[in-house]
Amino acid sequence: MGSLRTERLPANADVRAGGKAGRPSAAWAFVAPLIVLFVSLTTFPFLYMIYMSFRRYNLAAWTPSRWVGLDNYVTLFARDPTVGRAVTFTAWFVVIALPVEMVFGVAVALLIRNVVGERAWRAAVLLPMMIPAVVAGVAWKMLYNFEFGPVNYALSFVHVAPVSWLGDFTMAPAGIILIDIWQWTPFVFLVVYAALQSVSRDLVEAARVDGAGPWQTVWWVELPLIRTVLWIILIIRLIDMLKLFDIIYMTTFGGPGDATTSLSFYIYKVGVSFGWDVGYASALSVVLLAAITILTNVLIKTLNLRELLGL
Amino acid sequence: MTVPGAARSRATAVRATIAALRAAAVAAVLVFFLFPVYWLVTTAFKVPDDWFSMPPVFLPSRLTLVNFAGGAAGSMASLTTSIETITPYLRNSVAVAVVTAFVSTAIAALAAYAISRFRFGGIGFASWIVSIRMLPPIATALPLYVTFKVLGLLNTWTALILVYLVMTTPFSAWVLISFFNEIPRDLDEAAVVDGASTWGVFRLVALPLAVPGLAAMATLAFIQAWGEFLMALILTSSAAAQTLPIYLGRFITGFRIAWGPLAAAGLVTMVPVVVFSFIMLRYLIRGLTLGAVKY
Repeated sequence: MGSLRTERLPANADVRAGGKAGRPSAAWAFVAPLIVLFVSLTTFPFLYMIYMSFRRYNLAAWTPSRWVGLDNYVTLFARDPTVGRAVTFTAWFVVIALPVEMVFGVAVALLIRNVVGERAWRAAVLLPMMIPAVVAGVAWKMLYNFEFGPVNYALSFVHVAPVSWLGDFTMAPAGIILIDIWQWTPFVFLVVYAALQSVSRDLVEAARVDGAGPWQTVWWVELPLIRTVLWIILIIRLIDMLKLFDIIYMTTFGGPGDATTSLSFYIYKVGVSFGWDVGYASALSVVLLAAITILTNVLIKTLNLRELLGL
Repeated sequence: MTVPGAARSRATAVRATIAALRAAAVAAVLVFFLFPVYWLVTTAFKVPDDWFSMPPVFLPSRLTLVNFAGGAAGSMASLTTSIETITPYLRNSVAVAVVTAFVSTAIAALAAYAISRFRFGGIGFASWIVSIRMLPPIATALPLYVTFKVLGLLNTWTALILVYLVMTTPFSAWVLISFFNEIPRDLDEAAVVDGASTWGVFRLVALPLAVPGLAAMATLAFIQAWGEFLMALILTSSAAAQTLPIYLGRFITGFRIAWGPLAAAGLVTMVPVVVFSFIMLRYLIRGLTLGAVKY
């Protein structure tokens, strides 16, 4: 993992690399566009959003917005049962899809390597993650169709009654989870497959010489060696699962009831599609953002960014 | 050798069984991952009677291009798509994704160079960039909607390009840092000795050597911008700025869906990004793992 750097420069490398004084200001000029972009399009909107979250603000209403203090937050934590349902759905989604994708991805990587035609199979498995989520939604909505869909048709051969994949309170969340597994297991597969190839053959050979069988080599030598990578993809998948939106919009639209309403989709519903209640949607966004920021910071701390960046 | 024939043939049988099981497992995995794609692609070429039928048509005997050309209404569908209606969306998608790709790569390259060479901002700055990659887009969508409304930017390419830059730049900057790290510093020093300024070193030494990385990041930014849905859904409202994913989203919520043309539109949306993704696979891996895997 990570090619070994042959030269490690001292901390004052920039000075040695030719610098006179003035280097730091040149550096500022280089990063200025990025900082302006991020501050104006993330920091500023966040502050504005916090402000809006304390107001009764409806874009569809004629009345101007007004200060309501913590009212939106009281609604969020105490009065709105849909928040709990969205959290529950998202939690179930993560608890099931995340371990399945990780284990299945590793399994497929181990299964496909060294099989005849490896390269072709690898490309085939990667296809789902290359497809835009909205297009995946179109494909799965056809597959899941109650009357004419091939999934229910296939089930009829094993005498399973047609399943309402997108319309049933239990099956709709399962259907969404299955789509996510289909689309993102290839991501885990791809990264694990690539990481396994970077594991030193010498170590694998040494384990074999010491009498380890193929499974023991995988479990005790190869997987421990790629654990940083496994941890990184776990983090990335987790964070991306909390953003779940496109597939929901394309297949169930959050239904039936709120059975597949994810956090992002609920904010969209409140803020845009059902009434433009920007004040309350902002409060929801603030809480989601706070949760994700805390989570991200805790998780990023576990990574050795200095080493990853080669700084 | 003293191995009895029976034991040897049993070992061969076990090995053959394992190989057969493995082949079956590979086949099952491939069917799971490929079948939805197969279904989308074949539906795009099916005649209206075969879009939805019982039993479903797995191997269409009649193929047609009518789903792409328009006018394929079918007996079930009240909505249909056509070349004329999809063209503006295609144009918007291309314009937004291409501009995003170039601008994002330029911004990312400048910042990545400063981080690689001047250690700008240290780990705190690098963490900030990663954390922006992690942000949920919905969390900025509403304040940006209100802001863009005030600025008169709603339903424009500019609005989409600005928000897509935020999504693509962190990823690009992150990967480009590792590209610049790989360029030997001796070259910088030589150029400085020859009298080049900081900007000169960047433009004449670092940039030309990082061209493969820049091309890769531009492509990846294109892919991300091309497939983005949520921001486009909220910030645009008509064919003047809406992109292909919105086109698909609009038709799928219709009451009776013309599946053939919708699948055809899906295919049009999917093909460019699939092709680009495979070309850029190596860099995709590097970026997706925060540089932990160099493939």
